[in-house]
This record gives sequence, C-alpha cells and structure tokens, in this order.
Amino acid sequence: MTAGHSQQNAAVVLLFIHLCFSGGYQLTELQVGLCHLCNGTVQNGTAVSQFCSASAGLIDGRCCLLRKENIRDADYIIGLDLSNCSLSRVEDLQDAFSATTIDLSLNPIVNLDDSLFEGFILLAKLILPANLVCPGGNASWDKVKVKGETHFCEGQKDICNQTGYLSLNCPENSLCLPYGPGFFQCSCVDAFRGYKCLREGEFPIIQVFGPLAGSTVLVSILLWVTQRRKAISV
Amino acid sequence: VTPVMSSPCCGFLAQYTHHHLVAFLLTFFSYVLLHASRKTFSNVKVSISAQWTPSVQNASSPAFSPGETWEQNNLFADSDGATLFLGVLDTIFLFSYAVGLYMSGVIGDRMNLRYVLCFGLCGSAIVVSFVFGTLTEWLQFYNIYLYCGLWVLNGLLQSAVWPCVVAVMGNWFGKSGRGFVFGLWSACASVGNILGAFLASSVLKYGYEYAFLVTSVLQFAGGVVVFFGLLTSPKEVGEPVERDADSHRPLMSDEEDEEGSEEVCDGGYYTIQQGDEEPRETPKAIGFCQAFCLPGVLPYSLAYACLKLVNYSFFFWLPFYLSRNFGWKEAQADRLSVWYDVGGIIGGTIQGLISDFMGKRAPVLAVSLLLAMGALVGYSHSPPDQVVNAALLATTGFFIGGPSNMISSAISADLGRQEALRGSQEALATVTGIVDGTGSIGAAVGQYLVSVIESKLGWMFVFYFFIVMVRSSCLTHNVRQCSCLPEMSHSFSSGASYIRHCVVPVGDIFGPVI
Repeated sequence: MTAGHSQQNAAVVLLFIHLCFSGGYQLTELQVGLCHLCNGTVQNGTAVSQFCSASAGLIDGRCCLLRKENIRDADYIIGLDLSNCSLSRVEDLQDAFSATTIDLSLNPIVNLDDSLFEGFILLAKLILPANLVCPGGNASWDKVKVKGETHFCEGQKDICNQTGYLSLNCPENSLCLPYGPGFFQCSCVDAFRGYKCLREGEFPIIQVFGPLAGSTVLVSILLWVTQRRKAISV
Repeated sequence: VTPVMSSPCCGFLAQYTHHHLVAFLLTFFSYVLLHASRKTFSNVKVSISAQWTPSVQNASSPAFSPGETWEQNNLFADSDGATLFLGVLDTIFLFSYAVGLYMSGVIGDRMNLRYVLCFGLCGSAIVVSFVFGTLTEWLQFYNIYLYCGLWVLNGLLQSAVWPCVVAVMGNWFGKSGRGFVFGLWSACASVGNILGAFLASSVLKYGYEYAFLVTSVLQFAGGVVVFFGLLTSPKEVGEPVERDADSHRPLMSDEEDEEGSEEVCDGGYYTIQQGDEEPRETPKAIGFCQAFCLPGVLPYSLAYACLKLVNYSFFFWLPFYLSRNFGWKEAQADRLSVWYDVGGIIGGTIQGLISDFMGKRAPVLAVSLLLAMGALVGYSHSPPDQVVNAALLATTGFFIGGPSNMISSAISADLGRQEALRGSQEALATVTGIVDGTGSIGAAVGQYLVSVIESKLGWMFVFYFFIVMVRSSCLTHNVRQCSCLPEMSHSFSSGASYIRHCVVPVGDIFGPVI
C-alpha cells in the first residue's frame, strides 16, 4: 500500500509540475478527480492495461491517457479502470467521454443512470458488475456476455442503422449520428446551421450593404445638389 | 392661380418640373420602403414561430439532442401559443398606429415635414425593425414584453410617415393634380408589399433576422436620401404652391368638375397649407357624438370595419397561411402572396373606372362584395397547386381590394352632400376620424380574432369568419344613407388607384386619418 501511496503522490506531484510549466489543461483538475477517484492504479492483466499497452498509452492513476504529440493539448482518457473501487454510485464519467474501454466491475453499484454514457461514441468495451445491464439494452451491443461476477458489453452498434428500432426520424436538414450506446443526435447537414437547422449559408453582408451604402451616398449627393442646395428656409 | 385640367395628356405633364418628379419619387419610395418593412413581419411569421418554440415530438419519443439545436428556445411551448402571440403583436401595432396618426397630425402641423418624415423612417428602421428582428436574434434574447414594447414604438413611428408624404404630395401637386398623378402614386402601398415579399423571400434562407436587417437598412437609407433631397413644398424653391379656387369645398361632389375617367375617390388625407389662406366660410364645429349620430356614419363605420378586417388579415397572415396550410416553404409562400396585392391594384383601378363610367358606385360595390364572398369560398378550397392558388389569390384581391377603396371614396363623396357637413372641414375631419378609427379598431381586434380562431378551429373557420365579415359589410353598406368619408384605407389595402385629397386650413386638425 505504501508503494502505491508514494506512487500516487509522485503522480500528483508530476501533474502539478506539468501544470506549472504548461498553460494548463482543460481536463487537468477533473482528470485528477476521475483518474484518482480511488486508490491504486491500473492493474496488470486487466482489460484496460492490455488495451493501454497495445495503444501505447500513458497510465495515470486509474486512467489510460493518450500520448499527445503536442504537450499543450489536453490529455484524452482512452481507458478507465475503476474496478474494485468500492463505488456504490457512479455519478459523472463525462470526462472520460473519449474512452474506448471502461471497467466498472467488482463494485457494489446498485444501478446505473441512463444518461451516464451519453456522448461516449468511442466506447467499444464496457465491463460492468453482473447485476447491471448494458446501457442501451442488449440490442445496442454486438456482443454481450456474462462471465461470473462481470458483465461484458462489447462493440457498440450504430443506432441510426438499426432496423429493429422505430425509425429515428431526424427533422428536416439534419442527419442521425450515433451518440453513445442507445443514444443518437440529429446534426445539421451540409451548410445548414443554427437553431433547428433552419439557416443555410452565410449572409453576404459586404456584397449587399457595400453597394447599398455607395448608392445611398451617391443619390443623396446628387439630390442635394439638384434639389436642396438652393432651398430657402420657409 | 388657374385650375389645371388634369386630363392625362402630355401637355398636362409639361407644367411639372424636375422638382415635382423628385418629390413624387421620393415620397413614393419612402412609403414603399416603409410598407416593405412592415410586410417583413408577416413574411417571416413561420420562421419566427419556429425560432420561439422547441421541436415537436410525439409524447413517447425522446427529445432530440443536442438540446441547443432542438429544444433550447421555449418562449412558447408550442406553435399555437406562438401564433396567438403573433396575432397579439399585429393588434398592438394597429392600435398604436391609429393613436400615432392622431398625434402626427398635430405634430406635422407644427414641425418641418422633412424632419418628421426622416425621423419616422430612420427611427422606425433602426429602433424597431433592427432591434426587433435582428438584435434579439443575434443576442438570442427573446422576451414577450420587449417585443410588444418595440411594436408599439413601431406603430407610433410609422404613423408619422403617411401624413407627411401625403402633405408633401399635396403641396406639390395640389388638388388639381389629382387623378392621373395621384392614381399612379397611390399604388405605393401595394408596390411596397410586393417589394417586401420579394426581399424577404430571397433572404429568408439565411435566417429571418436578415430579412429584417435588409429591409430596415433599406428604410434607413431611404430616410437619409429623403433628408438630403426632399423639398417639402414649392415654396422652398420660391415657386408658388398649387392652389385651386375652390379649395375649401369638399373634394368629392357631383357638382364639381370631375376629371374624366380618373375619378379621384379614395383615401382622404389632409395637407398642411403653408402660408396665406383665402378667407373661408366659418367652420361649423360638430361634436363627436353629433357626428356619430349622423345618418349613415355608423353603418359605414361598421361596413368599413368589416372589409378592412378582411383586407388587413390577408396582409398580415397570408404567407403564414400559405406556408402552414399547404406546407410550402416560407420563401415560396412570400412570393405567392404577392398576387393578392396585384389583384388589389388591378381591382381598385378597374372598379374605379367602371364606377366612373357608370356614375354610380353602389351597384359596382354590391356586385363586387357578393363576388368577393364567392372568391373567398373558392380560395378556401384551393388545391395545393401553386398556379391555381395564385390565380385564386389574385381574384380574391381583385374583389376585396376594389370595394375597400370604393367604400372610402364613396364615403367622401356622399359626406360632402350632407347638409350638416357641407363646407365644414372640421366636421368632415371628425366624421372621417370616426369612420377611419372604427375601421381600424375593428381591423385591429380582428387580427387577434384570426389567430384565436385559427388555433382553436383551424383555417377553414377563419375563412367563414371572413365571409361573414364581407357579408355584413355588404349589408351595412346598403343600409348607409349618405355618410361618405375620406380615408386613407389604401395605406393597408391593396392598390388603390385613387386618392382623395382634402385641403384643410392651417392650424386645424391635421386629420385623424387612419
């Protein structure tokens, strides 16, 4: 435990040093929070550690971070291992939205919030305690299997392509895009933008108002010269 | 000053200088631009309504995400609430416009016409159209009270424009210049509607705020040009003001020398005669209640209110109806709505000509109103084909726009014959005010009724409501005795080709012309 403790301390110190010398990452504070939600680090042999070494990631506490070329960029969490953390509730995992592998097994979690995994478009492998169901139901995942104490959800399905679901009609000028297991988003297509994707294109301000201003000035001058210049006040 | 025969031939036009031409064009286009920006609101109702409400979803389906794109704005919970509020805004505008007209007369009498006109144009453009439509969208700030307050201000500022342009035209062209010249000029409202519809429809795809931006900038530019180029009266260049020997008699009466086929008969307005006045008959003041109780005033007011209601409703609601009922894109609906104005211009012209040739107005009016009911029935059952719809629209505009102008012109002619009012300009003004005011208030109330009926019962009942209104207009018009009053109906109605031009001595009420 002492070794882990000092390792954790070292990691924190390193992070703080990093903070001082860099501009400050967006996720730093929260990374500290999520990655160090509970003690220890990613154990060898777990799914996350295997994945991390395969993708040459950086292990930080319970997270596997993507090594970025530019050190100033925010670190992305690509793997999260919160197994055996004595968590009874999982509240907010949003900082790990880019994670590919998340491990929540061996925790006494009663149930998961529906919206917990909203936005997790890269999530390909989710390991849960056996009493929980895969988010979005079994139909949102390619492979669902229960092995002893753990529930494996693998391979997120694209909800927009599902024929089983009721047709997800996105309103006009928008397309369905997956947004996590069992979630979808309607994003504006092409040049459409704005509220309800009502607006198309960029208004050519210069081309419209330039000539207008010019002609206003010209006409005003012309009329003043021909009309009002000799006006007598009545 | 010799009265000039205004027969439409080239020699007649030779008396006018380039100053006359510029005054004509400037006043014409300033009112065109004003009306174009007024029409913008009705052209973008669908887009605004979509902007104020969250997306429509079945109860069982989840809300669309992301919330910022689909659910964020809920000024109104659904489109029915938004439609009601749009009707409220129209009503507010009409009321404040009416109030503003009363006040503008007083102000216009006392201040330089050019300044008032410029102030009205520029003020309405910046303070209102720009803030109302464009700024609220750029700042994403939607608030019911702000919209209402801005629209009240809009009505007040816009009401300054009409009396001024009319006064300027009166100064330059006098009474004898009516007929051809005024006939041409009075198409300005309809041209403004058409311009507004085309502008809005071409810019709408970028967002409704750009429709407001374009028309308000155009209007502002018009105000600037007017400021630098307008001569309000021939006196400003040292020429004498057009004066007719019989300037104090009511314009319309059968004994008067009427100019040929272009009977001048519509839209009374009052000019300010600056400077010397010939001695006139002592005015017979007439109390408000007295005027109200004159035979025919009440029936005419009601008849006019009903017809004005239908006309205003088409003005305010047509693009919205076309878009909602047939599912056409708003830009297409805007362009289609132009046909109503076209029909109105033609209708006003032709029916005026017919009644001139016949010498009587009542038969033309009665027939037109009856046919208008048929046109409304036909239009309410229009198939979703754009060509057929446009044709039916033009027909409806023809039969409703025509009588609208005619009633007001007939009003002026008949009123002049009444004993109590003969020769009295103040009384004329009072009675005018009553009929105009009742008409406008009735129309204002009607706008709100249209939105209520539409949200509760649907568009077919709105058309039944219109038919009932036209029918009552027909009936009460036949009841009328002889109060005919000048009025400026064509400020809203589609294309009058006639303008009535009343001359009021300085210091008198500018005229509650609404």
